[in-house]
Amino acid sequence: MKTTSLKQTVSVALLSAIAFLIMVFSFPMPLFPVFLTLDFSDVPAIVGTIMFGPVAGIVIEGLKNLLHYLLIGSATGVPVGELANFIAGSLLIVTGTWIYRKRKTTGSLIGGLLFGTVIMTIVMSIANYFIIFPSYAMFLGFGIDQAVAAANAANHSIHNLLTLIVFAVLPFNLLKGIILTVIIIPIYIRLRPRLGAMTLPKVR
Amino acid sequence: MFNIIIGQYVPGQSVIHRLDPRAKLLAVFLFVIIIFLANNWVTYALAIIFTLLGVFLSKVPVRFIYRGLKPIIIIIIFTFILNVLFTKEGELLVSYGWFHIYEGGLIQAVFISMRLLVIIVATTLLTLTTSPIDITDGLEILLGPLKKIKLPVHEFALMMSIALRFIPTLLEETEKVMKAQSARGSDFTSGSLKSRVKAIIPLLVPLFVGAFKRAEELAMAMEARGYRGDVGRTRLRQLIWSLSDTFLMLVTLFLTAALFILRG
Repeated sequence: MKTTSLKQTVSVALLSAIAFLIMVFSFPMPLFPVFLTLDFSDVPAIVGTIMFGPVAGIVIEGLKNLLHYLLIGSATGVPVGELANFIAGSLLIVTGTWIYRKRKTTGSLIGGLLFGTVIMTIVMSIANYFIIFPSYAMFLGFGIDQAVAAANAANHSIHNLLTLIVFAVLPFNLLKGIILTVIIIPIYIRLRPRLGAMTLPKVR
Repeated sequence: MFNIIIGQYVPGQSVIHRLDPRAKLLAVFLFVIIIFLANNWVTYALAIIFTLLGVFLSKVPVRFIYRGLKPIIIIIIFTFILNVLFTKEGELLVSYGWFHIYEGGLIQAVFISMRLLVIIVATTLLTLTTSPIDITDGLEILLGPLKKIKLPVHEFALMMSIALRFIPTLLEETEKVMKAQSARGSDFTSGSLKSRVKAIIPLLVPLFVGAFKRAEELAMAMEARGYRGDVGRTRLRQLIWSLSDTFLMLVTLFLTAALFILRG
């Protein structure tokens, strides 16, 4: 038991390092506000969750964001974006692999991740409305009305915080979840023989 | 693409460099909270003096501080303009068509930009003068009491150290895989979203396989050297709390008190 535990710890550490590197090379998506960057840094966390369970996935998300904050720094000096990324990633992973862990097939992984995407989108939209936007507003010092006014100049359907979320945050999270699912499936299929060897005790 | 420097640490021998990471972490953490108490010229001036004193004592070349500020300078300018244009308080200074500048708006814009600048300079100073490994060690000890409620603080710090150690190695490996795939005609840096997504898969798979192999070897090597967790572990780098650390704590507490008294 002890040996597998240390191997898990080290694997989780290395997966976090990969996740951090992917996060560094993230790029902003066209048509969305700059602070919503698309990165595939949730992929290592999903792989970690498939191998070692949801706690490993959450730890990877946490370490990734902590590394990013320490090494790159945050736009506001206070890790609001990192916190948002951590919550979004953890939600996607935990709900996404919950279905997968019952029947370990490719189909259940796809279904699970899409379900996780929906949950993440809903919760993140609510969190943006009540926590993330207000805290950005607090640290950057402008009222939400002003941010909305600025967004209104770019897109005329945005006239309050609710519409800002519906037109920017919600489609972003949906798209992010779907792209992640599209990426993780071929990786999962290619890594599957190895994943099994790592998680199950060697019977044969 | 790979000429980014991972980490901001600038080695040095200044007073700030030699402070205990625990003291620095506590001071910066407290400072970022108490800066929100500042709401008039005196309190902001105090906070700015405190930060500038830190910058001065650290002897870090100003261009490194500037480099830390560069990515957020646009955000600060944006915030400044938003505050000037949309806060309608105090005397009307300039009025031209729909364009109005009020005294209250201008003052608020200055204050908020100051607050952002001070927070960022303070946190940048921490990462400029403290190596990531020191920060990890400091965090491990500061969060030590959480072990009582069964939080695996030690394991978390260990993973952090391993991740920090292997980031350069993995970066090198990524570069190797990218070159190998480029030689086979893969294109990572241009093209549509779809083609970029497609190109990333043959990059990630070898990276994961390599990481698993490395994890297995590292775990074995650690066990061969007698690693058995937190209990009875001795450290190569010992953190020593000195008089100057106590002094930093006192100064920070004094600043907190001053901000409470002088805020309007």
